[in-house]
Amino acid sequence: MSKVIIIGAGPAGLSAAITIAENGLNVLVIDEYMKPGGRLLGQLYEEPNGNWWNGIKESQNLFDKAVSTGVEIKLQTPVSNIEESNGIWNVYTEDEVYTTSHLLLATGAAEAPLPIPGWTLPGVMSVGAAQVMTNVHRVKPGERGVIVGVNVLSSAIAMELKLAGIDVAAITLPKMNMVTKESGNPLDVMNSLLHVSHMAPSAFVKMGSKLMKNDFLKRMGITFFPKNGVKMWDIPIMLRKAVVEIYGESQVEGVTIATISPSGDIIPGTEENIAADFVCIAGGLYPLAELAAVAGCPFYHVEELGGYVPLHNERMETVLEGLYVAGNITGIEGAKVAISQGVTAGLAIVNSTDGGKQEAKLNDSIKAIEETRNKAYIQFHPDVKAGKQKLQNYWNEHWKAVVSQ
Amino acid sequence: MIICRCEEVTYGELVETADKYGCSPRELKLRTRAGMGYCGGRTCRNAVDSIAHSSTKRDVSQITLKYQPPIRPISFSKLGGVGNND
Ligand SMILES: Cc1cc2nc3c(=O)[nH]c(=O)nc-3n(C[C@H](O)[C@H](O)[C@H](O)COP(=O)(O)OP(=O)(O)OC[C@H]3O[C@@H](n4cnc5c(N)ncnc54)[C@H](O)[C@@H]3O)c2cc1C
Ligand code: FES
Repeated sequence: MSKVIIIGAGPAGLSAAITIAENGLNVLVIDEYMKPGGRLLGQLYEEPNGNWWNGIKESQNLFDKAVSTGVEIKLQTPVSNIEESNGIWNVYTEDEVYTTSHLLLATGAAEAPLPIPGWTLPGVMSVGAAQVMTNVHRVKPGERGVIVGVNVLSSAIAMELKLAGIDVAAITLPKMNMVTKESGNPLDVMNSLLHVSHMAPSAFVKMGSKLMKNDFLKRMGITFFPKNGVKMWDIPIMLRKAVVEIYGESQVEGVTIATISPSGDIIPGTEENIAADFVCIAGGLYPLAELAAVAGCPFYHVEELGGYVPLHNERMETVLEGLYVAGNITGIEGAKVAISQGVTAGLAIVNSTDGGKQEAKLNDSIKAIEETRNKAYIQFHPDVKAGKQKLQNYWNEHWKAVVSQ
Repeated sequence: MIICRCEEVTYGELVETADKYGCSPRELKLRTRAGMGYCGGRTCRNAVDSIAHSSTKRDVSQITLKYQPPIRPISFSKLGGVGNND
């Protein structure tokens, strides 16, 4: 049989590649970035058990293992299109068209922007860009930054910037508009923060999550939330202030913030300036599923998974023959879940080539994803499991409809 | 405030158009050109989608703004299969 092709050398793609190669099949992994590891590369944090999760090291381990099992990896190679004809998938890159009977999409996630006046000035970047500059390229994005958007990702990256000796003046909300919506609403943000309170060394947030079980208390919590924020790793987290403008002559010089009501409306006359030489925008993550879309996969919008997700089952099979998905393309979760999903996708591919010998292992690996999910330190949405269930229901409906046609 | 950098479409323009016509994301794109620039909507897609969904209901079973190949920039000669760049 032909070589299995995997698009994406992140944790999902690499772990799938290792699984497949260990079972004796040839694998080619294609990635557009210059280093293997995907979004794992930038990650750096301390887990509750005191271990450090160092993305660069984890990526290197996966890469070394892949190479030693005989996986071929082609970097700096963007895939611009995929197309099926006569049971074969064509994978288009700038210089070559690759073909395979088994194609895995492990393209990860992308960041959603939060438009704010002044966001086109040089010095404004996504929070993930600041993470990659700092942790992967070891270049400071600036001396003093403001992070706009309060969520798991931005607080994790704020701490990483701090570790690198970069001053973070504040993490605060964007001014509410039709794009920023929930990201600009203090109550919504507070709600989403409560379930990540275990990550916060701040007593206030920890205490908050215990106290604020009902809406009334939450509303009180946000009403009395200190206007100057609570500090986490010495960085003020401001839920009652929002950035109304990023200012600067030819590059970022600072941001104007204003106090907001519990529902996110600007209180006039409260504007003040914070000096900064860079601004990070943290609008959250969504599954990067362009290739599944051009291939013609059906899609569903599942809020809990971060947006539009290609329809797939728990074996990581899409409805299209020979096309598989794994990692953040199936919903936004942490790197460990992506690794587990890669194993399942790998086994599903092997299983379809050896007449079903992997059934037992495959079922175990599906359970392993669930266990990893339950133990996950980083959770991007509190109801990710409900989201997975929704998708499973859509899958069942899809096949019922196909059968009855 | 610019939303679509490639086609220089502002937030005001998008909100006004969405209000006036009760646009779906696709219609909003076609009316304003937001999302039709050389980045293929990679920067502004989400924003255009959100603005349109402020006035219309989301169909959860359909991607609202279609993806078209090539999804990454590629030179014309490569795309056309011509062997040289001259
Ligand atoms: C900015 C950012 C920060 C994050 N921080 C954390 C964190 O701190 N902790 C955590 O647990 N999770 C974090 N995540 C979530 C992260 O997505 C997962 O942890 C994990 O990396 C997902 O693995 P993956 O293999 O699915 O995708 P990725 O790791 O994203 O890998 C996908 C790979 O596919 C490649 N690719 C995509 N499209 C193409 C194409 N068309 N052609 C060729 N190659 C392509 C990319 O270059 C990339 O290397 C973060 C995500 C982002 C975007
Ligand atoms: S920013 Fe809108 S198409 Fe590029």
